[in-house]
Amino acid sequence: MMQTAPRPAASTAAAATPAASTPGASQTVVEVRDLEKRYGERTVLRGVAFTVQRGELYGLLGRNGAGKTTTVEILQGLRRADAGRVDVLGMDPAEAGDRLRRRIGAQLQDASLPERMRVHEALDLFASLHPDPRPLDELAAEWQLDHLWRRAVGRLSGGERQRLFVALALVGRPQLVFLDELTQNLDPVGRRHTWDVVRRIRDGGTTVVLVTHDVEEAERLCDRIAVVHGGRVVAEGTPASIVASLGAATTVTFTDPDLDVGAVRGLPGVERVRRHGPEVEVVGDGPLLAHVGAHLVAVGRPALDLRAHHPSLDDCFVTLTQEVPS
Amino acid sequence: MTARLTWMELRLLAREPMVAVSLIGFPLVTVLVLAGVFGQTPDPEFGGVSPDDHYLVGYVGVVLAALGLITIPVHVATHRELGVLRRFRAAGLGPRVLLASHGALGAVLGVVAAALVLAVGAAFYGIGAPEDPLGVAAWFVAGLACFVAIGGALGSVLPSGRAASALGNLLFVPMFLLGGGGPPRGVMTGAMQTVSDLLPLSHVVGGIREAWLGRTDDPHALWWPVAVAVVAVLLATWTSVRRATT
Repeated sequence: MMQTAPRPAASTAAAATPAASTPGASQTVVEVRDLEKRYGERTVLRGVAFTVQRGELYGLLGRNGAGKTTTVEILQGLRRADAGRVDVLGMDPAEAGDRLRRRIGAQLQDASLPERMRVHEALDLFASLHPDPRPLDELAAEWQLDHLWRRAVGRLSGGERQRLFVALALVGRPQLVFLDELTQNLDPVGRRHTWDVVRRIRDGGTTVVLVTHDVEEAERLCDRIAVVHGGRVVAEGTPASIVASLGAATTVTFTDPDLDVGAVRGLPGVERVRRHGPEVEVVGDGPLLAHVGAHLVAVGRPALDLRAHHPSLDDCFVTLTQEVPS
Repeated sequence: MTARLTWMELRLLAREPMVAVSLIGFPLVTVLVLAGVFGQTPDPEFGGVSPDDHYLVGYVGVVLAALGLITIPVHVATHRELGVLRRFRAAGLGPRVLLASHGALGAVLGVVAAALVLAVGAAFYGIGAPEDPLGVAAWFVAGLACFVAIGGALGSVLPSGRAASALGNLLFVPMFLLGGGGPPRGVMTGAMQTVSDLLPLSHVVGGIREAWLGRTDDPHALWWPVAVAVVAVLLATWTSVRRATT
């Protein structure tokens, strides 16, 4: 059906976003080339490469342990790469350090605040790190924290805590925000609220890099995605372009135990036809359903259960990430 | 920034009742019991001074040890465990600012806790003014620097609050018993005396006691806690900065 071997990222990236292939252009906010990182004997990143454009909501999508968090930690200067080139807002994170970190916002995975710290104390402390912070009452109202002003962090619900962390990430008017596994441990309603939050950040003009293992989240939110697997970017582009790039074969199925499938093989767009007992499976591209349906009507055998299955990003993600990294 | 962070950390610690217990509860109860048991009669085993004077002034050093071996490491390691240090660092609060803040936090706590122990001890048993205030101040500052730095070093390497608490108690109890909080040096065995002489706490407790009581017959090495402080600061800085850039 679909290719099982991951394709090089460049093929889809170039097709999807021509601007991304102009490194150093003013619209490029993040540029990563050939990034490598080892923890002792374990190689975590093996040549990660991607670019993020100004105003984009960019997703780093991958399974747990794919190297996503290590990548964004390097982008924030919280870890040093063993090899490769990283440019964030025109700076090398390893050299710029706090100078860069005060221009970006970050919601980190598994990073909390002291349980007894109050919401207003956290906002006040983080605001004090920036020369021109957002007015705190305005920020608190925007993220529905005003009624939680004096509440301790340890007494916030999961959703309230995430809203606080996002507000802290935005208090310094950052040009770029990293959001790492933002919806982890949230219930479905909290998850949807958080998605709205992420869209609002992007709509406010801030570039967002969203780290997630949730395909639906990436597909719904992100303008472009890099699929990370085994320390490599195995696909990059819009969700649609990634699906299309992976030999986006359509499968049409119907039940007819007596049909001569030989004639179906000759229809436009058909790549192969298989019979599984009474069920017929036709794989190909183009308007396959229309061709097969027209043929069945023409031969007087219209099937009642004729249906088409188009590969989703979820299918592609499974295909791209099922191989054990070498 | 360091001042603001220190002030915030102080407020957070003030909301943690267990901090007060670990920092001053144990030394306070112990000194009150020991001073009460041994009484106010001058005793040659205690260098010719009354046991309550001997213990009360020396316990300023014991409080500093509790601060450096338990309170600070547990606080910092709990921050690490919760990812607080990571979040601070991602926001632009670098390891040196955090270390400086924890140092300042330790200094404030040390002064407050020592004052509290002296005040409570004086209220119960009475205590004379220091014979050599400058000497007491020098020893107190050296002891504070030594144990705050040890606290920073332990906090920079320990992964969790529970680990810090376990190791802290493991270090504190023998140091307390052999370092001036327990029996006088004169009644210890030879091996115990050797260990006692190596412990910075013995020198801090002894130094403060000798200066306070105006005695000079049992000199202590001021350079020893200062040297330990320098090594601990270097270790804490190296470890924290290295952690922040690997």
